[in-house]
Amino acid sequence: MTQFLQQLTNGVVLGATYGLIALGYTMVYGIIQLINFAHGDIFMLGAFGGLALYNVLPHGMQDQVLIALPLCTLAGIALSVAVAVVMERVAYRPLRNAPRLAPLITAIGVSAMIEEGTRLWYPGAKAPLTFPPLLPSGGFTVGGVRISYASLVVVIVAVVLMIALQAFVLRSRTGRAMRATAQDPDTAKLMGINTDRVIVITFILGAALAAVAGVLNGARLGTVQFNDGFVAGLKAFTAAVLGGIGNITGCVAGGFILGIVEVMAVQYLPNGSGYKDLWAFVVLILVLVFRPTGLFGEEVTVRA
Amino acid sequence: MRNRYVVRAAIPAIIGVIAVTGCGSNKSSGGGSGSSGSHTVVIGLSAPLTGPLSALGLGMKNSVDLAVKQANQANKVKGWTIKFDPQDDQGDANVGGQVAARLASESNLVGVVGTLNSSVAQQEQKAYNDQNIVMISPANTNPMLTQGPNFATGNKVRPYKSYFRVATTDAIQGPFAAQYLKSQGITKVATVNDQKTYGAGLVQQFEKQWKSQGGTITSHQTINPGDKDFSGVISKIKPTGAQALYYGGEYPEAGPLSKQMKAAGLNIPLMGGDGIYDPTYIKLAGPKSEGDLATSVGAPTDQLSSAQAFVSAYKAAGYKEDFSAYGAYSYDAANVIIDALAKVLPGKSSIDSSVRQAIVAAVQQTDMNGVTGHVSFDQYGDTTNKVLTVYKVKGGAWVPVKTDTFNS
Amino acid sequence: MSDFPGVLRDGRERLRARIEPRRRPLLVAAAAVTAVAALLPWSVPGVGYTNPLPGDLGSVGLGGHRLYVFVLALVCLVGLTNVAGRRRMATACALGALVISVIALYSLIKQGGGTGAAGVGAWVGTVGSLVLLAVTDTLPTGPPNRLPRLAAPAAVGAIVVVVGVLLAAVVIGLGIDDETQFLCFAIFVGALIAAAGALGVFAAFREAFDQYRAVGYAVALAAAVAFPFTQGTNATWDAVFARVGVFAAAAIGLNVVVGLAGLLDLGYIAFFGIGGYVSALLSDAVFTTVHVHVPFLVVFPLGAMVAGLIGVAFGAPTLRLRGDYLAIVTLGFGEIFRIVVQNWTGLTQGPNGISGIPDLRLPGFLGGMQFGKPHTVFGVSMPFQANYVFLDIVLVIFVMLVFARLNDSRIGRAWVAIREDELAARAMGINTIALKLLAFGIGATLAGAAGTINAHIGESVTPDDYQFIASALLLSAVVLGGMGTVPGAVLGAALLIGLPEKLRFVQDYRLFLFGLALVLLMRFRPEGLIVSRRRQREFHEGGSGADAMSQPAQVAPV
Repeated sequence: MTQFLQQLTNGVVLGATYGLIALGYTMVYGIIQLINFAHGDIFMLGAFGGLALYNVLPHGMQDQVLIALPLCTLAGIALSVAVAVVMERVAYRPLRNAPRLAPLITAIGVSAMIEEGTRLWYPGAKAPLTFPPLLPSGGFTVGGVRISYASLVVVIVAVVLMIALQAFVLRSRTGRAMRATAQDPDTAKLMGINTDRVIVITFILGAALAAVAGVLNGARLGTVQFNDGFVAGLKAFTAAVLGGIGNITGCVAGGFILGIVEVMAVQYLPNGSGYKDLWAFVVLILVLVFRPTGLFGEEVTVRA
Repeated sequence: MRNRYVVRAAIPAIIGVIAVTGCGSNKSSGGGSGSSGSHTVVIGLSAPLTGPLSALGLGMKNSVDLAVKQANQANKVKGWTIKFDPQDDQGDANVGGQVAARLASESNLVGVVGTLNSSVAQQEQKAYNDQNIVMISPANTNPMLTQGPNFATGNKVRPYKSYFRVATTDAIQGPFAAQYLKSQGITKVATVNDQKTYGAGLVQQFEKQWKSQGGTITSHQTINPGDKDFSGVISKIKPTGAQALYYGGEYPEAGPLSKQMKAAGLNIPLMGGDGIYDPTYIKLAGPKSEGDLATSVGAPTDQLSSAQAFVSAYKAAGYKEDFSAYGAYSYDAANVIIDALAKVLPGKSSIDSSVRQAIVAAVQQTDMNGVTGHVSFDQYGDTTNKVLTVYKVKGGAWVPVKTDTFNS
Repeated sequence: MSDFPGVLRDGRERLRARIEPRRRPLLVAAAAVTAVAALLPWSVPGVGYTNPLPGDLGSVGLGGHRLYVFVLALVCLVGLTNVAGRRRMATACALGALVISVIALYSLIKQGGGTGAAGVGAWVGTVGSLVLLAVTDTLPTGPPNRLPRLAAPAAVGAIVVVVGVLLAAVVIGLGIDDETQFLCFAIFVGALIAAAGALGVFAAFREAFDQYRAVGYAVALAAAVAFPFTQGTNATWDAVFARVGVFAAAAIGLNVVVGLAGLLDLGYIAFFGIGGYVSALLSDAVFTTVHVHVPFLVVFPLGAMVAGLIGVAFGAPTLRLRGDYLAIVTLGFGEIFRIVVQNWTGLTQGPNGISGIPDLRLPGFLGGMQFGKPHTVFGVSMPFQANYVFLDIVLVIFVMLVFARLNDSRIGRAWVAIREDELAARAMGINTIALKLLAFGIGATLAGAAGTINAHIGESVTPDDYQFIASALLLSAVVLGGMGTVPGAVLGAALLIGLPEKLRFVQDYRLFLFGLALVLLMRFRPEGLIVSRRRQREFHEGGSGADAMSQPAQVAPV
């Protein structure tokens, strides 16, 4: 039982990361029906942005978790958001009215460019890089289950951000504009909503959340690599589909379910650790085949 | 009717024209590179020159380069100039296959030093063997490569007669590690491997020895190369009471594994083979890696009196990168090939399949005092040198703690 | 918000306005200066550097890249005539001359260690071709030229000449060892091809090809067969060709799925892998787990069938999904395949894969040919890799026949209908699910077939061969070459796999460049290099068409 709870804790931490990334997928898909394939790489860039700032911080500040963590997170957000905005403007916007497969193929290209660009031009990124211990070390034990402070921070930050996002989308003026655009972009435009601006804001929000996930994940695992975004992105997309794409609460729940499924498979299935990346895809296929609207239903009706 | 006539006339004409232009261009491309009055023979290298394992690969490349330069200066192979053709296999089996196809198609190539990874070697052996090209690895440790896929059952068959290595195998390295851990009073060990030729083989050999000497394997898990998050794996090991973790694989995964282990409160040493014996491991594993262990082939290069000349020549040559774990072995491997060339090539004017066969035969007969010790090969192409060293992380660096000749 | 491209556009407009009235004299002057510059010395005598370019660059002459610049500069003079398509011809050639000059200038400066190392020719040539480009940019836009329709013998001759020239260019290019020289040559050929396209050569070629299909295919076949003969005993390019061949076959298969039926399959490489693993396991390889040897004539259809069946089994439940969901699900399937072969060590040897796959051997009644041995045909002795080239050619013909038969059938038209508008297609009584499944299954089968051969060419199969990036590479081969066309898939595979082998220095940048290529293609030329007529209309319907790059390259003949 202790073992089960221990793995459950691991799953929740993992799921928090997936959930944060998945929000970007779900919002972008909800509004422009684009599977932003490069979103996983935006997540990876967040970690690299944080790492880059950390390396230029004075030594005294590097050791101060309360200073270094927020600063590095902001740097990660800045990099991810900048790249996401350029990507939206240069690659996706011109294809807004193109056949549906065109933006998806573009997204694959953008993803390759971000990954390879990082590998080629970030100093030392051809090999896995050491990520600094930005999270507090140590932990405590509750009923035999060890919880590290790092995991606790990851989960708390993720949950707070998710609640904040939900509030933003439901209550703010911009959030309302986002929902309107998702419902019907043409009508939204007629109502005086600057849909281009709304779409950019959506990309920015998604990128910022992914960047936070990137920095936290890097700090928790202690290492980052240029191709970290690929598998993480796919799993996050699965989480989004699992929860019902366009559905923010569902998306978060999807992330947690996926994280827990993954660690439980490692614990209880033969050679579980070898097959751990398999389950996300199996879950994805099963959900899409048997319940394409996701476990919690889509909030936005999406046109085929 | 008329069309057909035209086609019939035109096709051979076109083929003829193109054949002529093609031959012409081939001729011009073939002749350029040789220096005046001497024939050129090529020694290749297949090693990761980019990517996560490049620190090791670049040391290999520079060391072979040094051996070739010295041989050319001393005119070791009379009437022939040796050209060095290093290729980047990225430590990736797939890329290795392409490298092998490229090198094996070079008409003046007689030998290849490499690879670093056993899994890459497995993809390259056949291409060289088909062309009677000598391949000598300074670093491959999986027994399969020389003793065939069924070596473990005692049914040893050498798959490729042109493949040799100057590194000892996992059949020795794994048990050596097991003996060392036992001598430290450890009885319960968990193992993790990355399922690659090297990692899986190492763990298999380790577990065999460990069980035969009465130890317990508390958990046996596998991961995939490229994995980052080991929280599930670690949580599964923790309650089993393992006193050490034996890892079969390389440092890109081993480093983060050690770091995450200690962060999760699992404070036991991680031990691995030569695949983690690199400074990068310590960088990735962080300050808590103190006490982690690794075995590596041979005695520490800077402690061997025979290696002093190599170390100083390497420094004098001004290479940017350190010669790293396999530099001295690569240097020896290159010299084994060069010695064979010195025996076979003088008096010959071109490389053909009989010359290549003679070179393979000469390598098999090698009896040389290299910088890592005495070099000769047994009937499988394995080195007869079975010296190994255990290293420990102390003060942020690998420090040798025990050097010994293995006996079971 | 200030618009960066807008600023550039304004600058270009102003420059145009100033050149426009003096275009003819300026054009003559710029072309003359550039051509003369090509003749002048490009390097400074006495500067010690290894010469990256051929010929004696220190004196007056016309070798290597200088010939290219010279020829391209003179072709720009077409701007003085009234030929339709002259703008495209001239700008392509001016751009080519500029890029070649810059490459030569850069390599001279780099090798010589400073700007002093580049001679007068290099500087004048670069500036001259830059001016030339600015001048040709003022030429009026217009449709490409149309050559008169050719009569029978001339049409056949035209096919032979065009194919022959292209093959000769490939053979000569591959013979150039130095990368800088090769790059210059490739740009020269590219500029001439663009110019020839604007002159209507390829439209005429296409017309002739449509008219005399059998002849056209025979000539193309002859060119492919001739290739190993041109290489003699040199195995390098035969080995590359062998890999390009199987990838081209797989790309054509993917084209059935993506180009015809419009289903984006991002896990396509898995079917290629299934064929590969079936073939590897049944070949009694050195590092196998199953010690059986099954003749290849059995393995080939078996591998194709297994891949096809798995494709159908997987496709049946998932093909109901929307297009982009389907894409992700297929991607998931591809990853599942990779993860399974990576971990099922008892069967697949895990991450090491199965290596030491023996070379093919034809059975006795087909001559018992050993693929691992060099052969001599018509007095030309060729390395063993050439055997695989010939096998590839047979494979590609087979796949092309399947593709062509399907494309021209009721099924092919139904696929196009589904691709264009699935709802409408269903309303017209088309069984969309069954037809989509058929496309998916046929694609998988063809990939499996190609995979069985690939295992023998690569001599090993490993999970890493079948990563997502390989699917993306195949997809980009299809997109780059032109969706829905057979020659496009072949061209795309050749460019994406062959070119990086030649330009070793781009190897490291290969994936980045291919990402960039995908983005640029989708933005500016979504129909690919070789245009399927149906696709052309689909991608550009309702588009603004104001951009020069997005104008139809050819007006389709009826």
